[in-house]
Amino acid sequence: METGSWIVIGIIAALIVWMVGIFNNLVSLRNQVKNAWRQIDVQLKRRHDLIPNLVEVVKDYMSYEKETLEKVIQARNGAVNAQGPEQAIAAEGILTGALGKLFALMENYPDLKANENVSRLMEELSGTENKIAFARQFYNDSVMGMNNAVESFPSNIIANMFAFKHATYFEVPEGETATPTANLR
Amino acid sequence: MPQQTTPCPECGTLNWKENASCRLCNAALKPAKVKSKPRLRKKILRRTDFIAASRANQTATRRLVFLLLLIAAALGYLGGWALQTGMGHIPAKAESIIFFSSWGVLAAFILLGLSLLWISFAFKRGDRIVMKLTGAQLANRDTEVQLYNVVEEMALAAGLAAPRVYIIETDAMNAFATGMSPANASVAVTRGLLNKLNREELQAVIGHEMGHVVNWDIRYATAVSVLVGLIVLLSDGVLRGSLYGGGIGRSRATHKGDGGAGAILMIAMLVLAILAPIIARMVQMAVSRQREFLADATSVRLTRNTHAMISALEKLSQETVLFDRANRATQHLFIVNPLQNFSERASALMATHPPVTRRIQRLYNLGNKQY
Repeated sequence: METGSWIVIGIIAALIVWMVGIFNNLVSLRNQVKNAWRQIDVQLKRRHDLIPNLVEVVKDYMSYEKETLEKVIQARNGAVNAQGPEQAIAAEGILTGALGKLFALMENYPDLKANENVSRLMEELSGTENKIAFARQFYNDSVMGMNNAVESFPSNIIANMFAFKHATYFEVPEGETATPTANLR
Repeated sequence: MPQQTTPCPECGTLNWKENASCRLCNAALKPAKVKSKPRLRKKILRRTDFIAASRANQTATRRLVFLLLLIAAALGYLGGWALQTGMGHIPAKAESIIFFSSWGVLAAFILLGLSLLWISFAFKRGDRIVMKLTGAQLANRDTEVQLYNVVEEMALAAGLAAPRVYIIETDAMNAFATGMSPANASVAVTRGLLNKLNREELQAVIGHEMGHVVNWDIRYATAVSVLVGLIVLLSDGVLRGSLYGGGIGRSRATHKGDGGAGAILMIAMLVLAILAPIIARMVQMAVSRQREFLADATSVRLTRNTHAMISALEKLSQETVLFDRANRATQHLFIVNPLQNFSERASALMATHPPVTRRIQRLYNLGNKQY
């Protein structure tokens, strides 16, 4: 064969290798987004498991705050029964608001804060709240990486060819922007 | 022993009086002499994003292993040759004592095999060895709830599996991370750090350590600890031993037929003398200003909280209790250099952390950006 056709073959081979690289990168980005979402899910489950325990312990001290406690339980059940990510995000927003109110009220009960069980549960819960926030942060970072790859040239060509889609951000629901903080020190 | 402290002129950290440079920021405590910066390190860590950093760390680790194998083979050959010469098994054809030694080749292969075993062991259990060396204990999950939560939070933020958590029972404030890969890492903090930092500052320090994990700094640092650091400790022991045992050895060597052992000892000393500067460079590379800056920045990226990192750094720099459980094999791992009694030589070896004021200034610059 002539050198010219060798050069063409070489260029095509290099192009294919390059495209495979971009494709693999897109796949790993997509998997990262999926994994990040799973991490959020794990933390949300943990939060749902902790709340009944906290309410149980707190109930005796905070008999005047029945309404708040009921709201927390309702919000928790709503979150557990939520179907699909959109409902889940909304329900979690309500739950976070209710929990924030409960945490704020608990500040008024020094006995409660002195209780070892309660302070352990509070650390667990505020830890879980933080973990949800950090998992969401990592999820959103991953989504940004994915979307950058899907939108920017030249990886957008490969993304279009193999139907890589935009990932959706986990937006902070209304009213959740003020994160409840439990000061334990 | 009189243990007087003196504050660092640059960042105010308290240091032992006999130290030549500050343990936190490496500023000179006594009138400075001009030091030339190593060029190699600059070249390796020119780029400061984490992909470049992790690549540089893996390259450095491979280089370290290769160098060690080379040294082991050379040492083995020299040893075999010395033994063959000393015991009088010089081949008849040889014209001088410089000849192709069959014993040397054999010894080189034996030593090569041994060091391969050692390296694979170190790569498997490196973090555990480091924990043993520093006296760190696995933290109790039931009593250290907050610490575990903070570590898990930072792992989630970095998108990694949670590392194992260790505690060192001392009032000094310090922390480090170790492990051979991000998926299999460990972090250790001292009791003093846990007691004196609030939750957010602790989070910042753990974030800094997770930064070292994400950037693969831990791989190289741990390899240096377990592979090189142990050589340093051993050679310290050998040199100290030969100071006391030297006289007896010499008088016995004059008796008869002990030339082989004498030659080996001589060669071992010579090799150690040659190795010392190389080892110094290796350890020095394990800690660099770029790595610390990058880990600080990573911590802020994970916590989105610049002020916690700044106040944690300030508290670390004002710490008065010094940590004494570290040695020359592990000193480079820590967030603050823990060695109290280090001589002029050791301090040249530890061109480490950037001045804390500059670290804080960079953090303020980060803080101006909105996420």
